[in-house]
Amino acid sequence: MTAHPTALPTPAATELLVELTTTVNGDAVTASVPPRLHAADFLRQRLGLTGTHVGCEQGSCGMCTIVVDGEAVKSCLMLACQLDGRNVQTVESLAADDRLDPLQQAFKEAHALQCGFCTPGFLMTATALGYQGGCPSRAEIREEIAGVLCRCTGYENIVTAIENWFAGSARTATDEAPATGCPGGTQ
Amino acid sequence: MTTLERPLPADDATATPRGVIGTSVLRKEDDRLLRGDGRFTDDVEPAYLLHMAVGRCPYPHARVVRVDASRAWALDGVKHVLVGADVRAATEPLTVLRPVPGAPALPYYALAQDVATHEGQPVVSVAATSRHVAEDALELIDVEYEPLPHVVDVLAALEPDAPVLHPSVLNSNLLAANSDGSGDPEARMREADVVVEGRFRINRVTALPMETRAVVAEWRPGARELTVHVSTQVPHLIRKQLAETLRLTESDVRAVASDVGGGFGLKLGVFPEDVLASLHAMALRRPVKWVEDRAEHFRASTHARESVHDYRIAADASGRILAMTDVYATDIGGWNSPFGSAQLSSVVLNGPYRVEDGYAERRVTLTNKTPVGAYRGYGQPEVNFAYERLMDTLARRLDRDPVELRAQNMVKQQDLPWKNPTGAVYDSGDYERCLRMAAEAIGWSAHRAAGRVPRADGRLAGIGFSSFVERTGYASARFLARRGSQFGAHESVTLRANRSGGIDLYTGVSTMGQSAETAFAQVVSDVFGIDYAAVKVHAGDTGASPLNTGAFASRTMIAAAGALKEAAEELAAKTLRLAAARLGADAAVLEIAGPVVRHRDDEGVQVPLAEVFTTAITGQGIPPGEDPGLEATSHFEPSDAAYSFGTAAALVSVDPLTGEFDVERFVLVHDAGTVVNPTVVEGQVRGALAQGFGAALTEELRYDGDTGQLVNGSMLDYFVPTAADLPPLELLHTEVASPVTPFGIRGVGEVGTIPPGAAVANAICDALADFGVELSSLPITPEAVWRALADRAASEDPDDHLTPTPGDLPDGGVGY
Repeated sequence: MTAHPTALPTPAATELLVELTTTVNGDAVTASVPPRLHAADFLRQRLGLTGTHVGCEQGSCGMCTIVVDGEAVKSCLMLACQLDGRNVQTVESLAADDRLDPLQQAFKEAHALQCGFCTPGFLMTATALGYQGGCPSRAEIREEIAGVLCRCTGYENIVTAIENWFAGSARTATDEAPATGCPGGTQ
Repeated sequence: MTTLERPLPADDATATPRGVIGTSVLRKEDDRLLRGDGRFTDDVEPAYLLHMAVGRCPYPHARVVRVDASRAWALDGVKHVLVGADVRAATEPLTVLRPVPGAPALPYYALAQDVATHEGQPVVSVAATSRHVAEDALELIDVEYEPLPHVVDVLAALEPDAPVLHPSVLNSNLLAANSDGSGDPEARMREADVVVEGRFRINRVTALPMETRAVVAEWRPGARELTVHVSTQVPHLIRKQLAETLRLTESDVRAVASDVGGGFGLKLGVFPEDVLASLHAMALRRPVKWVEDRAEHFRASTHARESVHDYRIAADASGRILAMTDVYATDIGGWNSPFGSAQLSSVVLNGPYRVEDGYAERRVTLTNKTPVGAYRGYGQPEVNFAYERLMDTLARRLDRDPVELRAQNMVKQQDLPWKNPTGAVYDSGDYERCLRMAAEAIGWSAHRAAGRVPRADGRLAGIGFSSFVERTGYASARFLARRGSQFGAHESVTLRANRSGGIDLYTGVSTMGQSAETAFAQVVSDVFGIDYAAVKVHAGDTGASPLNTGAFASRTMIAAAGALKEAAEELAAKTLRLAAARLGADAAVLEIAGPVVRHRDDEGVQVPLAEVFTTAITGQGIPPGEDPGLEATSHFEPSDAAYSFGTAAALVSVDPLTGEFDVERFVLVHDAGTVVNPTVVEGQVRGALAQGFGAALTEELRYDGDTGQLVNGSMLDYFVPTAADLPPLELLHTEVASPVTPFGIRGVGEVGTIPPGAAVANAICDALADFGVELSSLPITPEAVWRALADRAASEDPDDHLTPTPGDLPDGGVGY
């Protein structure tokens, strides 16, 4: 960021490229990428999946959270080449045609978003939480989503949306079998 | 009719297709944002795009002796490099939208000229084929700096021996001082039975929107068209400022802000990088993108709040307040940013309390830190902390119940409207009712009766209050003109019928989370009668909206509601006339009901809106005397600012051995007048409270005095609340309509930022009253409480108080 009086050596004019093969939202993807390209930039700039946002590039804010092999990860802390052989899910995978996914619908009905910049991060964090199974309490939901920051909502309605989703139609397995429903929920 | 929102939720919009004011219809903004289909600035990716990176001064104060960019130019992929002289030759200094009265213009260019005055100030800029290459190029630019003496403390900056930041236009670091007031507060101080006073230090914080600033600039020289996609709250003001700075006409500039990932006051006006990206684009005839990284954001986007308030309250023995004064130094940083110094500490100097003799003096002070700009609250959290802490001090001094002391002094409902000492006209409300409701909800009577008995674990419980009024919107353009503000007090909308039977709504207000698209469509639906789903809002494009003011100062709804109402009424009247001609009926017996115009008493007589709109748009079959077309633009200025109000109460438990404390309950009773969408309003209040708690308890940008460096400029070191950090928040509302705005609306976006600091501090001081603890600084941390308990707090020199400046200062108050 800062122009220092002492400069580094001139980098090579042509960057090395590495090959990767991965699955993104169910589609097979093959690409050649610079080794320093991080996963969030790869998804946004190479695949046009701009729903994954970038907020700090140091793993603090959680805007760029995606699901890799069923777990929530911060895609700014992962290099694109590390996606090789993995199964990647982004926010674009949730809605089908004109229908919002039940998790998205729960967010909408609970007014769990305002500017919406952080929303994909929360949706993917909650998706991975659903894969873990179980019925988290409100306090547990708060802890689980604490890796994603929101400056608009004060979080209350995000917790409610996720709780309602668990109470209704959370997918609690990677085969997307609907859960029988968790207790709780306020809708 | 076109269904614009699918699927419609079963229990809401289908049951209430009209977006009636006062109902919680689901938001228009949500579907695209939930699907990852928002259009934030970084999502705009034109062909042949280049990327910009900015090299910044690493010192708090330094002379730029030499810049050698030759090695950067030679790097493969680098297309353009800008240095200070290039910017000086091609641009005018950045303009200020809200000048401080009496302040000279500072020569603030997009790149530092001879001297940089804060860490992070732009010095060089590169456009290249990728962000990687552009950042590599910065490393190759050789900048020689001569570090200069610096000052980062706001009071030290006013000392005679402080290094002067802008010696070409000022002989000290006092940018300007303003005063407002009435009566003779000094005389009342002398007559009073009791005077309480304190020095209150307010922390430097930052709005920290989740989307950093970003800009994509494109220039077509043949068309003379600079298109700037920019993350801003004020597209039409950015357009004006860019034209001024780049020596273009406004016709040459189009600013577009589609989705904005939070603003909170920070994204109010042009920043240096907007100018730099435009200059690169104009030099290269290729689009140039810059997306601020978070490390830059902490140093190059504006900070807020930092100030030192010396506040005094005088009262008689009965507790009646005789005078209130606040002399405060407020930190502006190294430059006067577009929205400059917070102005509302002066305007709401006295909060909700009745006092005839009052005085506020603001000293806007330059320091070698990142410039300060607007942030949600804009001076009101700061002054609230001062006067509400002192209200509790006064209660203890007089051995009065702090709730009763507040109630005794509050402006009464029957006395409103009432003009406060700085000229602000409080419009309406029942301040005491909010206070009583808060006291009841938090269990004040039982707590006070129980006395300070430690719990089994040794902790002490305390309850604290904070009562406030909040200025929302602006007094008229007449007032703004008197202070040189570069904008008006109105809002503007265009409504345009379309052949599908829907209404397109065009606004220059950008979408940043405040739910304007939803609320605007509700008002149109309510007034016109069309279905909420049939109103489509197009926001934030200066090329497709009437010239408006912008989304700030909690002003959007109170001004826009009037414009929406007028435009919808005009459109509805013509629609009814055209339908009357078509149906052979009198317009007076017709009504617009969702997708049709129909006879009020005979549903068999009706015509679809799509047909009426098509008739108007084609002009085929319109009655004699009617013009073709169906479109209305309205500009509306409310008659005055509206004042929201309320009281917060906090229940806190404190460990008197360690200072560790826990906010166990927090109640906010507040009044935003007529509520357009209750769910949205509650969301705004909760969100602002979260920011209020951050600023009160955990957030503080700290500079090292020796090096002048920001020491916690990252999200790892600057602690905004997470989902696991906030106390339980209980919200209660009253609803007193404002007489100065359409529908009785008051602004709502900023209220939650105001009371957390004072309420929590008062609760801790209540719990620790037997220890004589008085907190006077933000943020309130366990360490600060422990230091106060152990009497280890840094003592302030009692002779050190800021005192009113004799003689006349420029008036800086109401209208700002």
